[in-house]
Amino acid sequence: MTVTIALPSKGRMKDDASAIFERAGMKIVAVGNDRSYRGRVEGWDEVEIAFLSASEISREIGSGSVDFGVTGEDLVREGLADADARVEFCARLGFGHADVVVAVPEIWYDVDTMADLGDVAADFRARHGRRLAIATKYWRLTQQFFSGSHGIQLYRIVESLGATEGAPASGSADIIVDITSTGSTLKANHLKILSDGVILRSEACLVRARKAAHAGDPVVDRIVAAVRAAL
Amino acid sequence: MPLINLPAFAGDLLADFERMETLRVDTPVIQPAEPFLDMAGEDLRRRIFLTQSETGESLCLRPEFTIPVCLRHIETATGTPQRYAYLGEVFRQRREGSSEFYQAGIEDLGEPDTARADARAVGDAMQVLANRLPGGRLKVTLGDQSVFEAVIAACGLPAGWQKRLIHAFGDPKQLQKLLAELADPKSAGVFGHEVERLAITGMLEDEDRLVAHIGQIMEATGYSTNASRSPRDIARRLKEKMELANTRLDKATLAVMREFLTLDLPLADAPAALFRFAAKSGLKIEAALSLFDGRVAALSRAGADIDLIRYRAAFGRPLDYYTGLVFEIEVEGMAAVLAGGGRFDRLLTLLGAREHIPAVGFSLWLDRIEQAVSAAGGAK
Repeated sequence: MTVTIALPSKGRMKDDASAIFERAGMKIVAVGNDRSYRGRVEGWDEVEIAFLSASEISREIGSGSVDFGVTGEDLVREGLADADARVEFCARLGFGHADVVVAVPEIWYDVDTMADLGDVAADFRARHGRRLAIATKYWRLTQQFFSGSHGIQLYRIVESLGATEGAPASGSADIIVDITSTGSTLKANHLKILSDGVILRSEACLVRARKAAHAGDPVVDRIVAAVRAAL
Repeated sequence: MPLINLPAFAGDLLADFERMETLRVDTPVIQPAEPFLDMAGEDLRRRIFLTQSETGESLCLRPEFTIPVCLRHIETATGTPQRYAYLGEVFRQRREGSSEFYQAGIEDLGEPDTARADARAVGDAMQVLANRLPGGRLKVTLGDQSVFEAVIAACGLPAGWQKRLIHAFGDPKQLQKLLAELADPKSAGVFGHEVERLAITGMLEDEDRLVAHIGQIMEATGYSTNASRSPRDIARRLKEKMELANTRLDKATLAVMREFLTLDLPLADAPAALFRFAAKSGLKIEAALSLFDGRVAALSRAGADIDLIRYRAAFGRPLDYYTGLVFEIEVEGMAAVLAGGGRFDRLLTLLGAREHIPAVGFSLWLDRIEQAVSAAGGAK
C-alpha cells in the first residue's frame, strides 16, 4: 500500500516539518521542480508526499484521503467533530506553538475567569439588548469550551477570519477566541487572557487518519517510530 | 402537498386541538436563523440546518415551532389571549432518530390567569397523549423555576450568586459545582493585578472615582466609542464580584438548599410538603408557594389525573426565557420524552413584542408517540 503524508506547502511550517523528517531519516524531495505539490522520500518507495495548505491537511486527514499529516492540533480539533475517534495524534513535533485562548478587554477589571464571563453573559441581553458577541474563527472549540466545559450558553459567535484581536475595539464583538503565541498582539490591542481561558495548547503534530488498512502495515509503524525517534 | 409520511393519528390529534379552542397556524419551513441562535444559544448551531440567502441573511430549516409561532403572533399584531395549535415537520440533527420529524403542540399566549393557563397546558398535553395511548400509564414530571428562585432569594444570597444559581437551574452538574463553590472558602474569585492596585489606592471604595478612572482608561485606549459595557457596568460588577468572593454559605443554609433540590414527590403532596419545608427552614416563600398551590388546585379543577404527576424541585431548563412551570411526559415502559412544555413569559418581549405577554405551551414528539402507539399494539 502507498502511504501518503500531507505536509505544509509553504513557510516555516514546511521547513520545520522537512527538518524533522530529514532527522528521522526520511529526506523529502520534490517531484519535478521545487514548487511542485508532490514529493517523495528518498529510500521509502512506498511513501508519497502531498504538499497542502495547513487547513486542507486537517480536512484530508479527516476524510481519510491521506494517511498522515503534519498540521496544528488546533486546526484538527476545530475542523473535525470527534477528532480523537477519527485521527490519532502520533507525535507532538515541538514547533508551531500557539494557544487558543479566550481574551477580554483589559479594562474589564471584573472579569478574570470563565465564571466571571458566565455572569456577564447571563444578563448581557437584559443590559445591552443583545447577547455577548465573541469574534473567532474557532466555532467548534469555542462552543465546546463555553457550552461543554463551562455551562455558558448565552453568547453569539461573530465569524472573524482575520485581525480578530481588533474586533472588541472596533465594536464588532465584545471578546475574542483566537490563537496567540507570545501574547504581544493581544497586549497591543488591550486584551487579556482569562486565568482559566486557555482552550488548547496547540503545536504542530504528526497526525494519522484512523484507517482499518493501517492495522499491521509495517510502513505505517516505521513512519511513526522514525519521527518519534527524531524528536 | 399531500404528506404521506404524516403519522396516522395526525387527523385525530388536530381534531383534539380544535376541541381545545385553539387556532391552527402554519409557519414557513425556512426561517431566519437569528432568533433561534439568539434565544437558545450557539450550541444550537450544531444541531440546526443552516443556509444563507442570496443577500447573506442566515436562514435555517424550522427547528421547532414555539419561536415561529410567537414571531407570527407579534408580526400579525393579533390580540391576546390567543391559543395557537400547530402540527408540522421540524428539522434537527439528533443523536438518535431521523433529523426530520413531526411535532405538534399548543402555545397559549396572553392568558392573565397563569394558574389556569398552566393547568390547561399540562392537562391538554396529558389528554392528547391519553387519547393516542389509551392503555398506557403516563408519567408526568413537573418543576417550577419560580419556587427555586424564591428559595434562593429567601436564603439571603447576594444578587450575584442568585443570578448564577438561577442561570444554572436545570443543569444539575453546573448547579452542584456552584453549591460546592459556595461551601468551599478556598475557591475565592480571581482578581487581576490592576484591581489589587486599585484596592491600595482606595479607589474600590468609591464608585464614582472608579467609574471616572475606568472611563479615562477607555478613552486613552480607544475603547470608549464602541465599548459594550460602560465604566459603570464594570465598576458595579466588580463590586458584585467582591461580594461573590466573600460569600460563604453557612452549613445550615447550604443544607436547606440541598434538601430543597432533592424534593421529589407526588404533585398532590407537594404543596403541603413545600409549606412544611418552608416553615421548618424559616424561609419566607409564601408568595411563590401560593402560586404553586393555585396551579395544583387548577389542575384538579380542570380534571387532570393528578396522581400521574410528580413534582421534582430540581427539574428545570437552563434557558433564560423559561420563568415558571416546566414539565415532561413519558409513558410507562418507554424511556423517551413524548411531550415537553413550560412557561416562557420572557420570550415574547425578547422577540420584540412591545408589551409583556405571558405564555405557556407544550410540544409533542410525534415520531416517539408513533413508536409508543405501535409498541402498545397499534391501539389508537
